[in-house]
Amino acid sequence: MRLSLGSKFALTVLVILAVTMAANTLYFFRAWAQLQEQQLVERGRALGRLIALVSPEAMLGFDYLLLNDYTREVALRRDVVYAVIVTAQGAPVSSSVESSGSPLKQRLSAARGDDILKAIESVRDDPDLIGLEFPIVHNGMPLGRFLVGLSRESVRGELRVQLMIQALIVTAIVLFLSGAIYAVFRLNVLFPIRRLIAASREVARGEYPVVEVKSSDEFGLLARAFNTMAAEVKEEQAKLHRQANYDALTGLPNRMMAFERITQEIRRAARTGDRFAVYFIDLDNFKNINDSLGHAAGDELLIAVGGRLQAALRSSDTVARLGGDEFLVLAPDITDELQVKGIAERLLHAAAEPLELSGRRVSAQCSIGIAIFPDSADTVEALMVNADEAMYQAKTQSHGSAIFFTEEMSARMRERMRLEEDLEQAIAHGQLELHFQPMVVAATEAHHGAEVLLRWRHPERGYVAPALFVPVAEASGDIVRIGEWVLEEACRAWADWRARGIDAGVLAVNVSRVQFRKRLSAHVAEMLVAYAIPPERLELEITESVLLDDHPEVADELARLRAMKVRVSLDDFGTGYSSLSYLKRFRFDVLKIDRSFINGLPESADDVSVVNAIFAMAHGLGLRVVAEGVERRAQLEFIRGRRCEFAQGWLFSKALDRAAYEAYLLAGSAGLRRQLKGAVA
Amino acid sequence: MFPRLKPTEMISMYQPVAAHLGERLGRRVVLVTTKDFEAFWQGVKAQRYDIVHYNQYHYIHSAYAYRVVAHQQEFGRKAVAGALFVRADSGITELKQLRGRTIMFGGGRDAMMSYIAPRYLLMQAGLKDEDFKSEFAVNPPNALLALYHRQADAAGGGDILVDMPAVKTAIDTGQLRMLAATEPLLFLPWAVKRSMPAKLAGEVQSTLVGLGDSEAGRQVLRSAKVTGMGPATDKDYDVHRRLTKAVFGAKGIAR
Repeated sequence: MRLSLGSKFALTVLVILAVTMAANTLYFFRAWAQLQEQQLVERGRALGRLIALVSPEAMLGFDYLLLNDYTREVALRRDVVYAVIVTAQGAPVSSSVESSGSPLKQRLSAARGDDILKAIESVRDDPDLIGLEFPIVHNGMPLGRFLVGLSRESVRGELRVQLMIQALIVTAIVLFLSGAIYAVFRLNVLFPIRRLIAASREVARGEYPVVEVKSSDEFGLLARAFNTMAAEVKEEQAKLHRQANYDALTGLPNRMMAFERITQEIRRAARTGDRFAVYFIDLDNFKNINDSLGHAAGDELLIAVGGRLQAALRSSDTVARLGGDEFLVLAPDITDELQVKGIAERLLHAAAEPLELSGRRVSAQCSIGIAIFPDSADTVEALMVNADEAMYQAKTQSHGSAIFFTEEMSARMRERMRLEEDLEQAIAHGQLELHFQPMVVAATEAHHGAEVLLRWRHPERGYVAPALFVPVAEASGDIVRIGEWVLEEACRAWADWRARGIDAGVLAVNVSRVQFRKRLSAHVAEMLVAYAIPPERLELEITESVLLDDHPEVADELARLRAMKVRVSLDDFGTGYSSLSYLKRFRFDVLKIDRSFINGLPESADDVSVVNAIFAMAHGLGLRVVAEGVERRAQLEFIRGRRCEFAQGWLFSKALDRAAYEAYLLAGSAGLRRQLKGAVA
Repeated sequence: MFPRLKPTEMISMYQPVAAHLGERLGRRVVLVTTKDFEAFWQGVKAQRYDIVHYNQYHYIHSAYAYRVVAHQQEFGRKAVAGALFVRADSGITELKQLRGRTIMFGGGRDAMMSYIAPRYLLMQAGLKDEDFKSEFAVNPPNALLALYHRQADAAGGGDILVDMPAVKTAIDTGQLRMLAATEPLLFLPWAVKRSMPAKLAGEVQSTLVGLGDSEAGRQVLRSAKVTGMGPATDKDYDVHRRLTKAVFGAKGIAR
């Protein structure tokens, strides 16, 4: 049972008062009862002495009637149980017991004559009885005794009555005092507390009332403290609200607020039948600007673009920054596609307007994906996803494009989702398999190892290209599981070959940027131990995209892998950002030149220049180089001339499944391998 | 009124009689009693009372100055016998067995029913005064109570004692037994001074005797705890004289 503070207080006061008053009353009654008993005994003694004084004459005169009168008179007294006069020989000559009244009297009244003394003896120990005895003497001669029995019953009865009266009085006093104290408590404590509780509830509802300070006592101080606290909470709440709903950098609504506004707009539009547009905006070259001009310049750009986007829109439109270089625009009350396009163009122009950043004129072009409610979707999530999808489509086109979400995109998304679902089952159903792209020592064509490639043999579609499913797996997060599977399968294969005396050389396993965020080094260490693989026989290939994150975790992971003596190679060098700063900041063992540069060798002067530069730079940094896509001997000769350490490509072998690669390994010599290459081809 | 009972009790009982007499006689009647028999007897001897109510012995010794006009009736009886009582469990069945025993008498030696009549019975049985030990209770009922409480071996008194409420409520009279009784003796006398005019004496007699004739008179009788009044003459008390003479001789007891 839950008691309120008032109830607890009232109960406590009631108990304290009741106990105190009861203890006091009991003490008083104890003293009173003792006094009453003393008085009773005194009365009995006075009576006894009187009877003893007047009885000798009657006894000497054998006036038993008079003695009877004496005992009867005595017995008529309320507190007297019996009055008996006995002779000196102990014979009772007069006795009186009033039968009415107590059970004690009734017991004694049944006794007559000589039996009265026995009856008195039988009740001697009765707690209600006080027995007194007085000698009757005449001139020093004992004539007899006067026995009188007093009953405490009337005292007790009186005590009970008084106790009842006092109990009523005490109860009335206790109730009155409790009520009065409770009233004072209620007025001075409960009311202020209730005011504060009510105010607290208002604070909980998001209102911030000011509690009236009526006194300077503790409650006054509490009220003041509450007001101060409420003001601070209000301020903090506003700050939190701002932090939760607005982007700290640009001051624009953030993703959460954007969601909320779209949700509200959906409700409104669903009610009114209106349409509205969601624009998903991504800056095209923000990464470059950030890298080249620094984060501060990047932030400045984002603030400027945000402001310009807002300036280009109606007041009823909403611009939000979703994160990074992504913005969202919500444009309600759309009448037709032309209007939507017009807004998109205004946004493109606003973003592309040149801007002075760190002394350089910069133009931030953007790609825009557009989704219309309810045409494209009717939920927040779907509208966002669709607009995002349209934006990615716009990215694939020329910079500064705006594209509407279309049914085709929808189909593509569905296709991707289906692929995602199938991919989830791929490992369990054994649809994934490893292929091996052999690598040779460029100078001697001796076997060096192989790049491990992942292949998905779809039961309906046949082989699905990694370029198709790896992004899907990365998007869904399945890439971590798949990557771990690839690494373990490669290690298991290597260990299996070794167990059979086959040297598989170095196995280079591609790892995704997503794996880097999931403690890749821990899993690698586990695999090396589990399959007893020398770390230098394992090479992890990463692309520049891993480094794009430019996260301390990436650097830490790379450092841990290198500490384990696992080789790390930078794959597809030259196709991405090819930032030389990466090579400086992160330490690699191997650099792999993308096949697109090898293709034009040795005829293309541009490719020759680029490849020469890469070799010079790599060797300058102490990196070994792998040339990818070597298909012709002239290409091999070219890279040999640049002291290229390793090569891979059809000139040596195509990618082989496990059995074929095992046969390749068993072939042992370059000649045999060439034969095998021909067979495989 | 002789102090047969406590003076206050006597006054309470007989005040209505006095009032009734005063009313009928058309004159003021003052009720007087004394604290003891001695004082009462002094008043009788001095003839201070116009109308007296006393015991039979008093009358026969004051008949020279007073004349009986009525006798009192109690328990529906106009006469009472003198008797001797013993405890039923005493084993005493004959008067002779009282030799050497203690006998309790009520009042004093001038008590007609409680002393003179029982002494008469003892004399008839051959027991003289010295053959037993005499004790005296303040009045006849107490003599019986003393017997009951084993303060004596026998008690003398009128045979009506055991029927008296005062006795019956005080003791269990079933434990007592009457050993012997005299012939019936007319109850207590009401007498007037011989000097009282005959007419007035006659009116006193008729008033007393006529108490049972009216409701008011019966109420007066109930108040005095008597059942009636009957006429009496001096001759009616000759038998009392005979018993007294037998006990005390011709002069009676010295007063």
